[in-house]
Amino acid sequence: MSTQLSLSGLDLPRRNGELVFDAPWQSTVFGLAAAVIDNAFCGDREPFRQQLVKAIAAEPGRPYWESWTAALEALVETLPERPVP
Amino acid sequence: MSERGHHPAPLSPVERRVAALEALLTERGLVPEGFIEEITRRYESEIGPLNGAKVVARAWVDPGYKERLLTDGTAAIAELGFGGPEGDHMVVVENTPAVHNVIVCTLCSCYPWPVLGLPPSWYKDPPYRARMVREPRTLLAEMGCPLPGDVEIRVWDSSAEVRYLVLPQRPAGTAGMTEAELAGLVTRDSMIGVARL
Repeated sequence: MSTQLSLSGLDLPRRNGELVFDAPWQSTVFGLAAAVIDNAFCGDREPFRQQLVKAIAAEPGRPYWESWTAALEALVETLPERPVP
Repeated sequence: MSERGHHPAPLSPVERRVAALEALLTERGLVPEGFIEEITRRYESEIGPLNGAKVVARAWVDPGYKERLLTDGTAAIAELGFGGPEGDHMVVVENTPAVHNVIVCTLCSCYPWPVLGLPPSWYKDPPYRARMVREPRTLLAEMGCPLPGDVEIRVWDSSAEVRYLVLPQRPAGTAGMTEAELAGLVTRDSMIGVARL
């Protein structure tokens, strides 16, 4: 590991992206959470983070993006009903 | 259902739940047209660990920048044009011959998005979140980063208030390298603290 400049096997960030989602529904639910945070919570991420902490604590072995989905469902429950036009 | 759901296979239960959320939130006007595609594209191509590598390389070549980075991480990182969600309160912790830093989020998955992108899956998994606090030296060795016994390990638990970034030590033998060449040496894992360069 300490061999100078011998970095094979490490994840070099030469390219600034990597596949961060394993399936389309994961990127969808990531984007949905971002949209709700931006458009219903004025960019305040903390309410979602608290739901995510709860969702992970409730089922620690559950796959991450499923906990993320559960957190978003719980957050959406806290939104006021759509105002009557 | 958008073209993203154009699968021959039937939807799994979680896919159904996400589709229901998408329909509900779109109906409520909370998901602008094209928003999901755009944010996915940004996190898959623009916002990632190369940003952090540029910060690290700058700190290696510019002592004044390094001092500003360690004093006010958020402001110094913004000097290079990086900021945004999950990057409001950045604290940069410096590795030295005597101290090795590593970051974790014990409660969920807090991570410095503007400089590292979204976290790798192992960062979000229970074993890493629990063991990096309980037995960091053992876990680091298992992850391919054994540390001498006299090196102090400092584990930083990310929180709602603070996101951490590790400033790795500059490798020996790199005195003649340019800043851009140095940035090419910096790995994501070294900025999390689970690897040394």
